[in-house]
Amino acid sequence: MTNRLKKIFTVVIPASAVLAAGTAWFVTRFPASSFEKTGSQGEPSAQLVARGEYVSRLTDCVACHSVPGGAAYTGGLKMVTPMGAIFATNITPDRERGIGAYTLADFDRALRSGVAKDGHRLYPAMPYPSYAKLSDDDVKALYAYFMKGVPAVHLENRKSTIPWPLNMRWPLAFWNVVFAPSDVYRPDTSKDAQWNRGAYLVEGAGHCGACHTPRSLAFNEKGTDSRSAAFVSGALIDGWFAPSLRNDANTGLGRWSEDDVFRFLKTGRNDHAVVFGSMTEAFNNSTQFFSDDDLRAVAHYLKSLPGDGQRDGTPWQYEPTQTKALQPAGRQGIPGAQTYMAKCSFCHGADGRGQGQWVPPLAGAASSLVPDSSSSINVTLNGSGRVVAAGVPDSYRMPSYREQLSDGEIADVLTFIRSSWGNRQSPVMKPDVKKLREQTVPASSSPVILKTR
Amino acid sequence: MELNINGIQHHVDVEPDTPLLWALRDDLAMTGTKYGCGLAQCGACTVLVDGQAVRSCVTPVEKVAGASITTIEAIEQDDLGKRVVAAWVKHQVPQCGYCQSGQVMAATSLLRQVPHPTDADIDAAMVNLCRCGTYNAIRAAIHDLASGSTDGGA
Amino acid sequence: MVNGLFDDASLMQQGPVNLSRRRFMLTSAGAFVLGFGLPARQARAQAAQGPKYRGTQVPAFLEIRPDNTVRLQSPFIEGGQGTFTAMAQIVGEELDADPSTFLVENAPAGDEYAVMDSGMRITGGSMSVRNGYPAMRRLGALGREMLLQAGAQHLGVPVSELTTQPGQVVHVASGRTVKYGELAHVAMDLPVPDPASVKLRDPSQFRWIGKSVKRLDIYEKSTGKVDYAIDVRVDGMLHAAVQHAPRLGMTVGSIRNEEQVRQMKGVHSVHRLPGAVAVVAERWWHARRGVEALLVNWVEAEPGVASDIRVMPADFSTEEFRKHLATVSGKEENAETKGDVTRGLKNAHTVVEATYFSQYVNHGQLEPPSALARYNPDGTLDVWLPNQAPDMFRADMARRTGMDAEKITIHSPLLGGFFGRHFLYDHGSPYPQAIALAKATGRPIKLIWTREEEFLRDALRPMAAVRFRAGLDTTGCPVALDVVSATEGATEGLGTKRGKDLDPTALEGLTNKAYDIPDRRIAQLFVRNPATLGYWRSVGNSMNDFLYETFLDELADKGRQDPYELRLHLLRDNRRLTTLLKAVADLSGGWKRGPFTAADGSRRARGIGMASPFGSEAAAIAEVSLENGRVRVHEVWEAIDPGKVVNPAIVEAQVNGAIALGLSQVLLEETVYENGMPRARNYDGYPILALNQMPRVHVKIVESGEKMGGVGEPPLPAIPPAVVNAVSTLTGRRIRSMPLSRHDFAS
Repeated sequence: MTNRLKKIFTVVIPASAVLAAGTAWFVTRFPASSFEKTGSQGEPSAQLVARGEYVSRLTDCVACHSVPGGAAYTGGLKMVTPMGAIFATNITPDRERGIGAYTLADFDRALRSGVAKDGHRLYPAMPYPSYAKLSDDDVKALYAYFMKGVPAVHLENRKSTIPWPLNMRWPLAFWNVVFAPSDVYRPDTSKDAQWNRGAYLVEGAGHCGACHTPRSLAFNEKGTDSRSAAFVSGALIDGWFAPSLRNDANTGLGRWSEDDVFRFLKTGRNDHAVVFGSMTEAFNNSTQFFSDDDLRAVAHYLKSLPGDGQRDGTPWQYEPTQTKALQPAGRQGIPGAQTYMAKCSFCHGADGRGQGQWVPPLAGAASSLVPDSSSSINVTLNGSGRVVAAGVPDSYRMPSYREQLSDGEIADVLTFIRSSWGNRQSPVMKPDVKKLREQTVPASSSPVILKTR
Repeated sequence: MELNINGIQHHVDVEPDTPLLWALRDDLAMTGTKYGCGLAQCGACTVLVDGQAVRSCVTPVEKVAGASITTIEAIEQDDLGKRVVAAWVKHQVPQCGYCQSGQVMAATSLLRQVPHPTDADIDAAMVNLCRCGTYNAIRAAIHDLASGSTDGGA
Repeated sequence: MVNGLFDDASLMQQGPVNLSRRRFMLTSAGAFVLGFGLPARQARAQAAQGPKYRGTQVPAFLEIRPDNTVRLQSPFIEGGQGTFTAMAQIVGEELDADPSTFLVENAPAGDEYAVMDSGMRITGGSMSVRNGYPAMRRLGALGREMLLQAGAQHLGVPVSELTTQPGQVVHVASGRTVKYGELAHVAMDLPVPDPASVKLRDPSQFRWIGKSVKRLDIYEKSTGKVDYAIDVRVDGMLHAAVQHAPRLGMTVGSIRNEEQVRQMKGVHSVHRLPGAVAVVAERWWHARRGVEALLVNWVEAEPGVASDIRVMPADFSTEEFRKHLATVSGKEENAETKGDVTRGLKNAHTVVEATYFSQYVNHGQLEPPSALARYNPDGTLDVWLPNQAPDMFRADMARRTGMDAEKITIHSPLLGGFFGRHFLYDHGSPYPQAIALAKATGRPIKLIWTREEEFLRDALRPMAAVRFRAGLDTTGCPVALDVVSATEGATEGLGTKRGKDLDPTALEGLTNKAYDIPDRRIAQLFVRNPATLGYWRSVGNSMNDFLYETFLDELADKGRQDPYELRLHLLRDNRRLTTLLKAVADLSGGWKRGPFTAADGSRRARGIGMASPFGSEAAAIAEVSLENGRVRVHEVWEAIDPGKVVNPAIVEAQVNGAIALGLSQVLLEETVYENGMPRARNYDGYPILALNQMPRVHVKIVESGEKMGGVGEPPLPAIPPAVVNAVSTLTGRRIRSMPLSRHDFAS
């Protein structure tokens, strides 16, 4: 979230501030909700609450609105910006401190339009531009769940530390009108139902683009649906490069089958990759809870998005790195080779091919084939959080090497990885390692499962 | 799952991602291979798979089904391994001994690849940790083996 | 006989009778047997001595088998330091039996094995050989006497006509001999002779003491044949793994997915323990997976409620604690004073002030803690566990279980490293959990802590901030020294209450320095640590000699003195240390401080450190360079004077080991806490010295003939200052804290 917010503050606010005060009515107006006229529906059915709970997994509310050790949905996740920190809010049905006093229309306006009950604009750290595509039914179900399925907790929201006047939020209204889609998902009638379901999940509920779509100067996502070639084509966010989810052979899902995509989102791993970085949280808390049908729809949809050979380059092919080069004598002369053999090879293999689905290959891995080396640097410095599939933590985890390897050694070993086994990518630079070292912390060796109840 | 360990075929009833280390220790009662960190950091669990030193704590059994696994229990059935053990005894290498199963395996693997390792080769290959600090004795024993003066009967 | 050392099957055939309860078939192979338990003759051992002589119940210690092997119950545990071999040498020398014919085991708990002067029995403080030496010699001599008497009966000749050769009684006149193994069954039933009456061998006649006798455990350790505690198995055993509360003092509130975990493959049961949850399974791997899967709602400790626990605060950070130690004020309690330090400082030509720091460090022994507990049908309890003090552990188990200590048998397998880790630390060992789980399940339970749980519950070497003030005279020589250490000692750190007296382990290494500084005061400013503290190889000296000796080099620089010459000057009336310091300088080819350019073109410098720990003296010189901004140690020369030596080869191995640990500390190690949690939970975040960081080591053993001192720990404390002093010389920068990896030498 950090980068997203930084750009919003540095670009959007100054640009907006020049606008006349006469627009005040606009920036304080309440957007419309399709539930404007809907009165109290009475007690929702258990079925609707359960449906809402499922939708909350699709939308991954818990990712921001619960913190490790905290009660479910009481907020508190800190997002640091150059102006100060903001904190995710309490969305339990507590009437004073949570959203207990929200009507369905209030809830809808927050969810799909980014406007709170009192009229203040939410920061787009809340992915309402994606949630705008949610169907009325799903919004209704979510509302039922948050009112009846989540225990109310009387916990005060933490105040943002952003000072006045930077803490004024009304300029976001202009940003919204320009950049935030404001309509529910409209099925593409030329595509089948499975594809449309996949599109709804990827573009809307799952808000995959929030991480995987590159952003423009105003920090809006460059594309919000399948019609844009930029949509989920890979982006840097919070020190991780979220790879392309399009059919790019090297940096995307080009070599994956639909079943590979399905298994990745269901179990956190396949023969191509294991979830790591921020995706670990998305997997642990969200994608594995999708129904099989929904995951297959996601896979079907993603595999329909064309790649960009221009951007992606010549498709990768495995080339054995000479065994001789990795023998004790040979590897001493190749920068990074000794570090690879001493620190990486026991898990990822001298051949770079990993260990089946349990330890991912580095040969041909998207992280080794994208120009941006952030993910490789980050995971080497900090290791990766535990992947918890079906309630069981992974058997193998990536250690943190920040205490063992210098910036230069990490740059060298990643450069070695990015130029071995057919990988052909630019070298990793020492200053890039240094920068990420300062900005990041090691992943926890204990599983982190956020509470949803 | 079928595992070929020390020339004998074993059947183990474990999940495919079970680390080889725990199949050895829990299912086959072969406790000469040690658990130290479970994270490929220390090397106490080193065994040979097709002659290469691997860390059994991060090796899923699925990956080594069909391969030839050698553990410390059979190290002396191997001529080179027997020489390594003899050199370890001659140089009185172990202190607490806990890491030494792994050290012996790592040395055997090194000497198989490089019969006459230099100091730099030893630095490169002997990356197992020893908290007792037997490193210089390990180095001396390997050099001794490289020069060929220690035979299996020592 | 080395081959037979752990060949339990062969021992079984000749093993003692009437002890079948203590024999346990292994679950798998069934081919070998564990745990001899008590030696055969213990029950019959007579109390033959008053308090003046300890360890004289010969049959409790010695069993000589028909094949002439000698089974010795050692009061001290073997953890790599060579104690079993040393015990065999010492006993064998007087018993007249070759140490290579010995099978040595760690004796069970029991007063008869409390051979130390203190009347206690611990393996620690580098005490085993020096403290066990008189008793174990006497033990061997008493045993020989009993064998001679049995030989007299057997041969029908007066004892006075008999003598011994290794392993046999000899009647010189007739040339007849009889092996010990044939006499033992008679000899060990004889009354133990008066300990005052036995004559000990003249040291000039020693065959094994003082020689580099081969260690007894090397072959087994080189072939994976040793069973450490973690390897022990018994019939019907289940495995267990635990997940501890993130911070000590927290308790189990609820478990969110208990039922789900109970259904996991291989899981037997899920348990709530004080400050932890456990999963029991048929295999440890399943137990571990299950316990990691448990989602526990931990409850914060209520302030003031758990007074017997060091409650770890949620906001504890070592960085903040370090600042606190540096600035805190309070009562300064003097541990050592000489002259008048106030006057000395006032009259000094120059006053130098500086604050130095030591860090928390982990033990990092390669064998993770484990315990196997089994309740027996007769109501007794057997526990196998790594430990440095069986009697203390047994007493603690008795306290926890409410059982009579006599009904608890402690088994002490060889230690996979210890370095102080296996003393009794509250919440620092798995045995209370293993015992609770054995009770709850009715099955023997082997509990292994993962490396991650070990890093969470290890007891730490204390932190300190030491404020030095020193006065130099007009020649630049230190004449006054005021030292205040804000710290808590390891011993006073064991509990939650402080003793009446100062804890000597807090300041050792700042106190008892031999340098002739006429006016001085060494004081402690007690600061309670939130972390659980423990003994770490060379204890207080592990940090205090670093703090003192590096400040001494700072003084030398301020006074424009050469650090070697200054030390010689300050030790001018101390012949033993002058000899030692010169010995280490000679060993290094003559004192050469540098910086200088080495043959490989690198810029290098050398530094000195000295220490007087655990009854021995040590002096070290280290040679360093910088490689890519990191310190590289090329050579270490160390001279050690432990007074007398039992096994020079083992001493040299111990010096190597202590140097490695000292280097590991000064180069790499620091336990960092943030938000009440250790940042590192495995070796990935807590690197320790690797082979490619080990320098060449040159050892000189100086036998001054003074009272025998320790060996396992004394070579360590001089290493960190020798390295840091060399780095300061090389870089021209004063370094006042460890580890060097936290200092940036790239610029």
